[in-house]
Amino acid sequence: MLDRLMSRGPQLTPDQQRRVPPGQYVTEKWPVLHYGSIPRTDLATWTFRVWGEVDAPFELTWEQFKTLPRKQVHTDIHCVTRWTKLDTDFEGVPIQQVLELAQLRPSARFVVAHAEQGYTANVPREVLDDDDVLLADTYGGEPLAPEHGYPLRLFVPKRYFWKSAKWLRGLEFLDHDQLGFWERYGYHNDADPWKEQRFSDG
Amino acid sequence: MSSGGPVAEAARDEVRALAQEKGHAVDVAAHVRDRLEAAFAEGSLSRTPQLEQALADLRLALDQAAGQKLGGKSGEAARFIVRAIVRGLDEA
Repeated sequence: MLDRLMSRGPQLTPDQQRRVPPGQYVTEKWPVLHYGSIPRTDLATWTFRVWGEVDAPFELTWEQFKTLPRKQVHTDIHCVTRWTKLDTDFEGVPIQQVLELAQLRPSARFVVAHAEQGYTANVPREVLDDDDVLLADTYGGEPLAPEHGYPLRLFVPKRYFWKSAKWLRGLEFLDHDQLGFWERYGYHNDADPWKEQRFSDG
Repeated sequence: MSSGGPVAEAARDEVRALAQEKGHAVDVAAHVRDRLEAAFAEGSLSRTPQLEQALADLRLALDQAAGQKLGGKSGEAARFIVRAIVRGLDEA
């Protein structure tokens, strides 16, 4: 009984233990956290848009999006609510494809991810432009479940997972930082799990 | 410029009191929203960009599609937004 109460999740190898940021516990589940309702998506009318400080703004249909080059990423994800899920497998379009298509201007220093229901999350360009960042539509070889962002979510695994906006509909590049939904109300702007940047007031 | 006079102060006090109510955060937030929108409609308080943003965010956080439960983060979002509304009342 005491063992169960003290348990912090599955038994971890030393390597796995090193991959758990401070203040996090490991879960094998994938908790569902969002506000409002889960949007219903019609792929026939769905579009993904990129605009702002770019020379080639564009909008893609689902059919067009599915023709872009793809990539798999095996990594860990960390939620600000303290769960960490190790060894996840996401797949989608590498962000560099999007950056290349959009032809970012030098002034494009920040990005706001726009999702269904008005949800937004912001990251600096240098955080977005990383080898493990995806526009992810697949998890574990299957399309994302509706509650996890179907059909598309941003995937920024080096930041707490609220930055990986579910139900993604567009990226807006800006020359200035613009706080996203949770950042407006007290979540940390940088959201680095290894620095425990959970809330802006420390 | 923020609204002055006893009517404006009374409206602010009512919104602050509603924000302090005991109960589920989602219900508290709905009461705060309703009173604030009434204050705007009757002209006792002035709209500000910050409060407009907060009300828009609150609508999203409390949006409940037919047949669905509200997401688990709706309560937290509602609490955070209500705090921001209270902080912004003096400017309204």
